[in-house]
Amino acid sequence: MTRKLIAALAVALSLPAGAAVAQQDTLRLRLNADIRSTDPGLNRDANTDAVVLHMVEGLVAYREDASVAPMLAKSVEVSPDGRTYTFALRDGVSFHNGAPLTADDVLFAWKRYTTPANNWRCLPEVDGRGLTKVVDVAAKDAKTVVFTLEKPSALFLTLLARTDCGGTGIYHRASLDADGKWKEPVGTGPFKLAEWKRAQYIDLVRNDAYTALPGERDGHAGNKAPLVPKLRFVIIPDASAAKAALLSGGIDINPDIVNADIAEYKARKDLTLQTKQAMDIQAVLFQTRDPLLKDARLRRAIAMSLDVPQIVETITEGESKPSLSIIPVPSGFYGQAQAQMPKRDVAGAKKLLAEAGYKGETIKLLATKRYPSLFDFAVLTQAMAQEAGLRIEIEVLDWATLLDRYTKGDYQAMAFTYSSRLDPSLSFEMISGDKDKQPRKVWDNAEARELMTRSMEVTDKAQRQAIFDELEARFRADMPMIVLYSSVETSAARSNVQGYAGWALGQPRAWGVSLKPGS
Amino acid sequence: MHGPLGYVGKRLLWTLPTLLLVGFTVFVMVRLIPGDPALVILGDAATPDQIAGLKAQYGLDRPILVQFGLWLGRLAQGDLGVAITDGQPVLPLLWERFQVTAAIVFLAVGLAVLIAVPAGLLAAWKQNSGLDIAVVTTATLLLSIPSFWLGLILLLVFGLKLGWVPVIGYVPFGQSPTQALLYILLPVVTLTLIEAGVLTRMARASAIEVLRLEYVMHARAKGLRERRVLLRHVLPNAFAPTWTVIGLVLGNLLGGIAVLETVFTLPGLGRLLVDAIFARDYPVVQGCLLFTALIYVLVNLIVDLCYPLFDPRVAAS
Repeated sequence: MTRKLIAALAVALSLPAGAAVAQQDTLRLRLNADIRSTDPGLNRDANTDAVVLHMVEGLVAYREDASVAPMLAKSVEVSPDGRTYTFALRDGVSFHNGAPLTADDVLFAWKRYTTPANNWRCLPEVDGRGLTKVVDVAAKDAKTVVFTLEKPSALFLTLLARTDCGGTGIYHRASLDADGKWKEPVGTGPFKLAEWKRAQYIDLVRNDAYTALPGERDGHAGNKAPLVPKLRFVIIPDASAAKAALLSGGIDINPDIVNADIAEYKARKDLTLQTKQAMDIQAVLFQTRDPLLKDARLRRAIAMSLDVPQIVETITEGESKPSLSIIPVPSGFYGQAQAQMPKRDVAGAKKLLAEAGYKGETIKLLATKRYPSLFDFAVLTQAMAQEAGLRIEIEVLDWATLLDRYTKGDYQAMAFTYSSRLDPSLSFEMISGDKDKQPRKVWDNAEARELMTRSMEVTDKAQRQAIFDELEARFRADMPMIVLYSSVETSAARSNVQGYAGWALGQPRAWGVSLKPGS
Repeated sequence: MHGPLGYVGKRLLWTLPTLLLVGFTVFVMVRLIPGDPALVILGDAATPDQIAGLKAQYGLDRPILVQFGLWLGRLAQGDLGVAITDGQPVLPLLWERFQVTAAIVFLAVGLAVLIAVPAGLLAAWKQNSGLDIAVVTTATLLLSIPSFWLGLILLLVFGLKLGWVPVIGYVPFGQSPTQALLYILLPVVTLTLIEAGVLTRMARASAIEVLRLEYVMHARAKGLRERRVLLRHVLPNAFAPTWTVIGLVLGNLLGGIAVLETVFTLPGLGRLLVDAIFARDYPVVQGCLLFTALIYVLVNLIVDLCYPLFDPRVAAS
């Protein structure tokens, strides 16, 4: 009896890690926090977008280089006046419940997105408060949808593709229950929702009826063929626990490796490491209405005192490229004007400080440890600026408080990170505005705002580039903030994983990924 | 009503003003912390319109006393509201997460008692001997180790190096008792070791005091065997103060073992509270703290009610 009991226990305890929940046909990816909902673009964050965009697809989607490509649309025609967009839907596309995709479904989803009570993240951008106003959406026939805008916008397709807008994913009405409440996404994506166990995992299963586009995987567009039968997003908030899970085989992919682990992971043969420059912005913001920092000479002096390449080298282990531009390095609009990187000039900084009448007043720099890089570059900024005679004091806050202070403009200086903006107009829009109306705006320059508005209307790339170069020059002269770099997204996959690739948006993609047989 | 039932009723009645005070304090305090749930949800791109819209949706734009009144009204009907971050009803959420924490805490504290009480008793019996020094040193070491550090070390050794247990995940007991045990083994061991340190010292100190009393000397003088003296006369009296500490430990731990739950990726009450604080999810924070206070009060009530089992003088008084 005792022997039998011992044998039974031995069998139970010798089960491989995670055996109860993860079979060999399941690809397991880490998420650092639970998702907020499965409703595209409504109650969301970056993790929510990443998971939801495995289940729903929009008319258009981002390519690898952040340009926009058709997804559920087979073609997009723009009228000569730039106000009418005609989307011809792809043939043979069906929802997870087998229903074919029709123009009526697009109208249904759009109507729900634009119902104010639903609080769609991107509603202000299409109802006239932001980018544009969509005045009409109509089904020309069962496979054609026509959007009419009040005025032309260079960013309309970009807006539809935005991940924070849920990719304006099209879902079937079966996604709602009888009361019209969101149930689960019945989309056209390569995976279907199986189970969401809150705070633990989200299980998806392959959409066997998925019709993949030909060609290669390309951002959120291109070929999205699901190769694994099951997909599990495992929620592991703690970085050390995630590391242990990856190394022990509890997960297959960690899309979010901390920089400090990069060297160790590189040395391991059982892991494949990938680094991609993201499109977020890490920067030191200044309050240009602060009695001290309203003097641009002082802000420029701080910038001159910093060895930006050295800061970026230290923080990102040499993986990221330093850049002073608000336009991220991977952008197609990142040119010569954006790449300029003046050398550190401590003497010049001292001279400027003297001209500005700086007498050693303390500048308070807010930071947080929620994102370690923010605290790290705040410390390096403090140390380097000290050599020029600047006194900087760091105050550490939690993320929610920092965000609150940012939104109210209640700071002298702040180490901050902006989430990815995939078009330069949006990059400038995120920092530029009237501080009286929106205190969070860092750069209050009326001429710059006019240029920015123009950049949103002009569709010619060369013209837009010229505008962005002009904005870059004005931005550096005003120096409302010091951009340092865009972070690197480093992912690690176990050697049994084939075809996984990170990209500039940083969100994990499980289509086109397979597990080696026998793994 | 008199007797034990009357006593329980009176104690439960007394918890109401306590809980009300906790509720009000938490309600006000959580709103005094800088930060805004709407901002955390909407992020750096939030427009004033969107922030205002989200606040209105959750009634956060109303005066704080009105919000408190509405919350209290719902509370009276057993409704703790819904989470701002994901719209889930708070009460079922708390109950679900509490079960995870409770399973670990009860197992760990139970095991810790089984280790600590005999160890403390033996150390006291052999006071100043090598055994005593070894027990005291080990106990002091255990209670000095931070739980996250011990957890991580166990996780690295038994999960990563040896691969004996899974390093992440959770399986409910109802789904598979064997798997459930496997998944909570490391957190239970971590907590057991740490709490055993605390309880051993307490048990030893209590036993030393009892061993010095005259009735123990009398029992020995009667010629009773040491084993009988210890188990029959010393243990029951020495256990009563330890029992009080067990109650306090249980009350503390059942409120959430956030650090361990984070290290071992367990969906418990502590992690829920910490996440809710970071997200400024007011209904969840309020619900968690109120629930924790209730648990604390109930555990202490149960401890008090069990006290006469170990010390009949309490029942008499």
